[in-house]
Amino acid sequence: MNKKLLTAIIVTSILTFLALDDIIVDWSQIDGSFGKLYIFFTQDLFPPDWSILSAEPGIKCSSEVGFFCSQAWKGISETIKMAFIATILGFVFSLPIASLAANNLYPLPVAMAARILLASLRSLPSIIWALIFTIAIGFGPFSGVLAMTLYTIGYLGKLQYEAIEGIANEPLEASMAMGLTKSERFIFVVIPESSNHLISQLLFMFEYNVRHGTVLGLVGAGGIGQYIDTNLKFFVYDKAMAFLIVIFVVVVIIDILSMIIRSYVTDESDFKRPKWWTVLLPSNAAMKLHRKSLKKE
Amino acid sequence: MGRPKFDNKVTSPSEVAVDLEPIIRFKNIDIGYNKPLVKNITTDIYPGDRIAIIGSSGIGKTTLLRTIAGLIAPLSGVIENVSTGRGEIGYIPQKLGLVRHSSAMSNIMLGARTRRSKLYPPFLGIGEDLRKEAETLIIKLGLREVLDEPVRILSGGQQRRVAIARSLIQKPKLILADEFLGELDVENVESIIDILEKQLTQIGTTLVMVEHQEEIARNIANRIWRIADNKLVEEEIK
Repeated sequence: MNKKLLTAIIVTSILTFLALDDIIVDWSQIDGSFGKLYIFFTQDLFPPDWSILSAEPGIKCSSEVGFFCSQAWKGISETIKMAFIATILGFVFSLPIASLAANNLYPLPVAMAARILLASLRSLPSIIWALIFTIAIGFGPFSGVLAMTLYTIGYLGKLQYEAIEGIANEPLEASMAMGLTKSERFIFVVIPESSNHLISQLLFMFEYNVRHGTVLGLVGAGGIGQYIDTNLKFFVYDKAMAFLIVIFVVVVIIDILSMIIRSYVTDESDFKRPKWWTVLLPSNAAMKLHRKSLKKE
Repeated sequence: MGRPKFDNKVTSPSEVAVDLEPIIRFKNIDIGYNKPLVKNITTDIYPGDRIAIIGSSGIGKTTLLRTIAGLIAPLSGVIENVSTGRGEIGYIPQKLGLVRHSSAMSNIMLGARTRRSKLYPPFLGIGEDLRKEAETLIIKLGLREVLDEPVRILSGGQQRRVAIARSLIQKPKLILADEFLGELDVENVESIIDILEKQLTQIGTTLVMVEHQEEIARNIANRIWRIADNKLVEEEIK
């Protein structure tokens, strides 16, 4: 192994151990912790209480399907709605700020001011923003939406200006020489050239907001997290576990859908899909299938 | 080679037009990034000129073109741009500068947009008159089949035609083209030169191009600027 790499690994390991030693006051705390964790998992969390998927008793609900009147559906659909609104609002507000922050479009002082604004929005995690909004406007999903929107502007804005700075310089230079205005350059050159990245980031942000939306309920900002919080407070761990599994399944589904949609916004997605149902496959999988069918012919 | 030639034996406009106002006047300029690549350039560009800049790689040809385009400032001296308003310069960089994810038509209409005022709202369509004009040009350039295709999937020759169409639809006073015929086969070079020659004559546009193949440069140009030893020298057309 390279001597420098070996030294770096040893130094990092020592620093990590020293930091850990400084944080952990009493190492004996760890004794028996795995046993406790095992008991917690096997006796308290499992089996999950799936009554959360059935209609809530005593609550009026217009749907005849019990699942659509359940706590799980109400919680997760509220979280998804919150994440969707926050992602769209965040995108709309972050894009103009990101264009100001890109140093291939605006001079350094303007770019720095916009970057500082984005960094300040990003420096507070969405749960802290949620705490602030629940104090300011009260409990409920609206506080969660505002919290996620502000964080989305900060986070997405950073990803967007990095994507904008990564576009090829020649189309920008050609449009400058032609005499197009800044707004024309932004709309007709910058957005199309960075569109794949922008769409991909938008989908990533939606996934991220769904995951984080589940946590916001812990501070009273609505969504499925509020149900988890209530169950944890009353030590109803089996129900809390069922909610966590629902979140896991939903996040996996959104992840797969997002992966498929993102496969349409890459350069590789230009080929014609051989069969209608291959629209459900990511582009590289559909492409392999297409090549196989060509070989057979 | 049998390639179509520009009528470059006709005397250059700059030679006959004593009263003609130059569109660009260089007064003792040095160009480069940190240190000068070409020094003491003093010359004029007149309407109708077809200038080819030649010289070895890295000598400052592209830098000169970018300076004329207003993308970089000269290190010293003055460039008097008699006309550099919106849409008056068409610029075709080495890699063409097309918006890869937009269609061929969108790229061409980007040039057409410069014919509208700066205050023309970007979200409005470009107008039927310019669209029709663009369609006529597109047919002449043989791009009708690929109009709605994204530029990134077009062939090298088609991409060059799109870049030329984008510049021509501007009806610019000056087109700056940087080795835009590079990597093309002879047939493509011939047809592109043929189209360009007709269109330039029709709209009376001046052309300044960088070309590493001297033969092509001499076929097209009526003025040759050679850059060597940090100097720009105007050569006679043989």
